[in-house]
Amino acid sequence: MKISLNWLKEYIDLTDIDVEEIVSKLTMSGLEVESVENQIEMFKNFIVGFVEEKEKHPNADKLSLCVVNNGTEKLKVVCGAPNVAAGQKVVFAQIGAVVPNSGMKISKAKIRGAESNGMLCSESELGLSEDHSGIIVLDQSIKEGTSVSEALHLNDVLFEIGVTPNRADALSHIGVARDLAAIFQRELKLPKVSIPKSEKNINDFASIEIIDTENCPRYSAKVLLNVEIKESPDWLKRRLKAIGLRPINNIVDITNFVLHEVGQPLHAFDLDKLAKQKIVVKKAAADSLFTTLDAKERKLNENVLMICDGEKPVAVAGVMGGENSEVTSSTKNILIESAYFNPTSVRKTSKYLGLSTDAAYRFERGTDPSSTVYAAERAAQLMAELSGGEVVNGFIDVYPNRISEKEITLRFHQVERVLGYTVPNENIKNILASLGFEIKNVSGDSITVSTPTFRPDVEREIDLIEEIARINNYDTIPTISKIAIPISEKIDESAFVDDLRTIATGLGFNEILSIPMITEKAADIFGKPVGLLNPQGSEMGYLRTSLLASALPVVEKNINVGEKNIKLFEIGKVFLKVNDDLFTFSDFVEEERFLFLLTGKISEKEWYTGERDFDFYDLKSFVNECFQKKTLDNLLNDSYYHNGNKIFDYFFTKSFGTTVLGSGGKVKKEVLKQFGIQQDVFCFEGSVEVLKSITPKGRAFTGLLRFPKVMKDFAFIFEKDIPVENVASFIKKKGSGILKAVHPFDVFEHASIGETKKSVAFNLSYFDAERTLTDEEVDKDFQSLIEIVKKEFKAVLRGK
Amino acid sequence: MLTKIQTLNTEFLQAIENIKDQKQLEDLRIVYLSRNGSIASLFEELKNVPKEEKPLLGKELNRLRNLAEEKFAEKKSEFEKLLTKKSQQIDLTLPGRKVELGHKHLLTQTLDEIKSIFKGLGFSIFEGPELESDYYNFEALNFPADHPARDMQDTFFVNKNFLLRTHTSPVQVRLMEKLQPPLRAIMPGKVYRNEAISSRSHCMFHQVEGLCVDTDITFAELKGTLVAFTKQFYGKDLNYRFRPSFFPFTEPSAEMDITCFLCKGKGCRVCKHSGWLEILGCGMVDPNVFDYAKYDNEKYTGYAFGMGIERTAMLKYGITDIRTFFENDVRFLKQF
Repeated sequence: MKISLNWLKEYIDLTDIDVEEIVSKLTMSGLEVESVENQIEMFKNFIVGFVEEKEKHPNADKLSLCVVNNGTEKLKVVCGAPNVAAGQKVVFAQIGAVVPNSGMKISKAKIRGAESNGMLCSESELGLSEDHSGIIVLDQSIKEGTSVSEALHLNDVLFEIGVTPNRADALSHIGVARDLAAIFQRELKLPKVSIPKSEKNINDFASIEIIDTENCPRYSAKVLLNVEIKESPDWLKRRLKAIGLRPINNIVDITNFVLHEVGQPLHAFDLDKLAKQKIVVKKAAADSLFTTLDAKERKLNENVLMICDGEKPVAVAGVMGGENSEVTSSTKNILIESAYFNPTSVRKTSKYLGLSTDAAYRFERGTDPSSTVYAAERAAQLMAELSGGEVVNGFIDVYPNRISEKEITLRFHQVERVLGYTVPNENIKNILASLGFEIKNVSGDSITVSTPTFRPDVEREIDLIEEIARINNYDTIPTISKIAIPISEKIDESAFVDDLRTIATGLGFNEILSIPMITEKAADIFGKPVGLLNPQGSEMGYLRTSLLASALPVVEKNINVGEKNIKLFEIGKVFLKVNDDLFTFSDFVEEERFLFLLTGKISEKEWYTGERDFDFYDLKSFVNECFQKKTLDNLLNDSYYHNGNKIFDYFFTKSFGTTVLGSGGKVKKEVLKQFGIQQDVFCFEGSVEVLKSITPKGRAFTGLLRFPKVMKDFAFIFEKDIPVENVASFIKKKGSGILKAVHPFDVFEHASIGETKKSVAFNLSYFDAERTLTDEEVDKDFQSLIEIVKKEFKAVLRGK
Repeated sequence: MLTKIQTLNTEFLQAIENIKDQKQLEDLRIVYLSRNGSIASLFEELKNVPKEEKPLLGKELNRLRNLAEEKFAEKKSEFEKLLTKKSQQIDLTLPGRKVELGHKHLLTQTLDEIKSIFKGLGFSIFEGPELESDYYNFEALNFPADHPARDMQDTFFVNKNFLLRTHTSPVQVRLMEKLQPPLRAIMPGKVYRNEAISSRSHCMFHQVEGLCVDTDITFAELKGTLVAFTKQFYGKDLNYRFRPSFFPFTEPSAEMDITCFLCKGKGCRVCKHSGWLEILGCGMVDPNVFDYAKYDNEKYTGYAFGMGIERTAMLKYGITDIRTFFENDVRFLKQF
C-alpha cells in the first residue's frame, strides 16, 4: 500500500520529524515501510529547460539536435521525441540524473556522432504515467532552471507499507496517521464535514432494502443532484497519482480519494440508471451473468452478494460496480453507496470471481461499520464542491445487524507476565487512548476499555498487550541473558537419519534433496500416487511413491552436465495411497525412505588400475556395509530375484524375518529411458521406519578371539546355475561347530572346464573361542566336507 | 720428494671429494692408482733417492697408496649403494589412489549447525508429517477458514481435507497434543508453497520451527534465546532488531532482522536497500492455540519461532539462486 507523506500531513503535524524517523518508527510499530520514494531526491537533476533551437540530426532521421537553455547555460541535446520543437518549455534531465522508469544514469554521450548533454523526458520516463508518445511540454510561464519537483509539484515522499492481514484499520491515510499519533503522542485531526442545507429530502429520491442482512449488516447512502462530470482539480489528481491511481473524473476520483483517506470503500451509482431508484441487497441467482465495470461478463453463483436496483443487479457487493449503472460523462444524479459487508462473504466472492479490487481488499479484512455515514458525507461534501451538485438532505442508513464495540479488561500484571518487564499503568492508558480505545474503567490492577469498531482484530486481553508492546517498540523489552532449562530428557527424533547420513557419506555417497512432485508417468511406474489439486503444471502433479522417481531426474541432469560417475543418496518422504479417497490419515501412508544410487564408473583410467563400471556387487557391498554399521548384519536375510520386476532387471531384498526392509538392483532400461538416461543405474531403496524398528537399541561388546584361526581352501567345479551362496551356506551348515565362516574367493569360467560349468574356490575359517584347535580335528571336518559337497552338487574337487 | 708426496696427498683428497659418479671415479683411479698413475711414478722415483731417506719416504708413499685405495673402495661402495637404492625407489609424485568422501547436502549441514546450537540451549528435536490436514496446518493454528491470513501462504491442496504443509508450525500442535509442559523443542522439516519457481522462491523449502512453553516464559526470554542463537550462527558482532508483525498463531508477533552482512547495513540489492535482513518470524504463543492444545492459559505462557533454511544458507555462502539447492548438481554437492 502506498502512503503519501504530504497527504498524511493533513491529519497529523509531522513537520518537525524527519523522514528516516517516520520510516523507522512506523516499521518498528508494525507498519513495515518496505520502500521509500523521495520525489525531491528522485528528481534532483531534473529541471525545466527551454528549447532554443531545433534542427534535424544529420545522421538519423528520427533524431533532432536541440539547444536547451537550463537557466544558466546553453547545452546541446539529442532528442528522439516526435513532438520536440523550438520554443518549448520541457523537462530536462541533466547529466547525473537517474531516469526513474529505467534506472539509467544520464551522462555525456555521443549519439550518432552528435554530442548530447542530457535528455528531454516523457511522462513515462519520469514514471508519472504510461504515456511515452512524446516529451512533456510545460506551461510557458515556468522559468527555465526551475526544479521539476517544484514545477510539477513532485515534492512528496511515498512509503510502500506492507500491511499485515490483521491491520484492516491501517489501510488508509487516516489509519496510518492514527498509529503515528499514538507513536509521537500527537493529535489526530479528522476532516470536518459540513454540507449546505437543501430543501429536498433523500427519501423522495431513493430507497434501500437489505434482504441478506447477515452479509450486509449496514448500508448507508447519500444522494446528489445535478452534478457536472468533469476532470478533477490538480490537487485531487496529484493525491491519486502519487499513490499510483489513474484519475478518471471528479465523481470516481472522490470515491477513490475517500477510500484512501478514511479506508471506507464507496461506490457511486448513476441514480437515473437505478430502476425504481431503489437498492436491494441480496444473493445472486445461480449461474446468472453480470457485466462488471471492466466490461467483463462474469458468471455468478448463489453465494455472491449483489447490489440490485428495482429490477436487476447493478454491482457485485464490495467487489466491483456494474457497467449498467456506471457514472458516465452524461450522469446528472448520484447515489453514493457506503456499506459494511461481511468480510468472509466478500472474500469468497472475490476468490470465486478471481477479482481483487481495492474495495474487496479492505472489505475482506474488515472495514469500520461505524464509519459508513461519515465517509458518505465526506464524499458528498467533496462532490458538491467539485461538481457543483446539490446534496439532498439527510442520509439513508439501514443497519439491521448492529456491530457494537467490545469491552476488554486488561489485568496490568499480565503485561509483565507476557512481555517480561513492567510497563507503567499510565503509559498503558495513554497508548490505548491514543489508538482510539475508550477508557471505561481503571482500577489498581486492571483497565477496561471499549474497542473501536475499526479494530476488529483486537478482541482479547492479549491483543491489548500487543498494542502496548508495539507502540512502545519491541526494543524496550529486555533481552535476557540467562535461561532456566528444565532437567528433563532431551529427545532427538532426527538422530537416527542423521547417523544414516554420516554412514552414507563415509561410504562416499553425496546427498541429494529432490523435489517430491513428479509427473503422472513417473508416478505410474512406481505405484498408486497421491495427486495434487493445484499443481505447478503437469510435470509436478503427483507426489512420489518412490525416492527413485524423483532421483532419476537428478541423475539425468548430472549426466547432462558431464557428471556421469556418481554415487548419490537421499533420505526423504514418499506418499502412498491406501484408499482411493483421502478422508483421514489412515487413507494414506507417509513413509520415510533412504535411497542409495550408483551409476557410471567406479574407477576411471588410472595409473594403477583400468576403468570399471559400477555393478550389482558394488551396490550390494555398500548396502551391507551400511547395515553392518547399524549392527544389523547378522539379523538380516537376503533374497535374490534373477528375473527382476517392473523396475529392476534383477534385484535382491533385505528382510528381517518376514518384514522387508528394502530392495535394490539394476534399474530396467525401459524405466531409465523415460527419464532420458542411457547408462546403467543401480539402486537400493528401503524404509527408514523399518530400519529404525529393527536396529538393536543397545550394544554389547563381543570378546576378541585369543586363539589362532585355521584357514583352509578348496575349489570345486559344478554347474553354472547353482548359486554360489547355496553352496557356501550348505558347507557352513554341514561343517562342525568349529567351522565359523565360509567365503567364496575365486570364480572361474572357461571352456576348458566345460561350457555349463564354473569353478569356485572357498576359504574356510576354523576357530574356537575357548581353545586352540588341533590339526586333526580341522582336517577331519575339511575332508568330510569335500565328500559331502562332491555328492550334493555333483561337484569335482579341483587341483587334486 | 716428501713435499711431492704431501702435495699429491692433498690433491688426491680434494679430487676424490669432488667425484660425482662412477665414471669420474674410475678416471681418477687411473690417474692415481693405475700402473702408470701418479703414485706408481713416485714409487719409480723412490728407486733413485738416497738410501737413508728411503725408509721414511717409502713409508709415507705406502701410506698414501693405502689411503687412496681405501678412499676409492669407500667411494665405490657408496655409489653402488646409491644405484641399488635408485632401482628400488618409487615415484612419490604420482597421484594418490583415489578415495572420495561423500558430502552431506549443504542444507543438511546448515540444519545440523542450527540443531546443534539449539541442543546446546536445551532444546529437543521433533519431526512431523509433510502431508498434513487442514486442521493442523491452519485451523488449530488460529487461521480461521476464509480469512485473508491464509493468503499469506499459497497452498498445494490434495483435497478439501489434506494439503502439503505450508510451514512447520503444525508440528507445534502435534507436540502439544502429545506432551505436557515444560516444552522446549525445535522441529525442522520440508514445507511447500505454491509459488512460481524462480531464483528467489521455490515450491519446496526447509524450515525450523521452535516452541517453548513453561510457567514463566516471556517475550524477554524469546528475545534472549533468539539473540543467543543468532550470534552463534551468524557471528557475535551483528546488530539485530525485533519488529512487530502478524502471525495468527502468535500474539504479540515479531520478525527478527539482522544487519545485512553483505553491505554492513549501508543498503544493497540483497537487503532491498534497507540495511536489514529478515531472518525469522516469532512471537508469544496465541492463547487460542493453547486452547486447541488444551493447555491452561492462566498457567502457561510460551513462545514460538520459525525460520527458513535456504535463505540462511544462501546468505551465509553467497548462493544467489535458490534452485541451486534442488538441482543437486554433483559439482555443487561436492563443494561443501
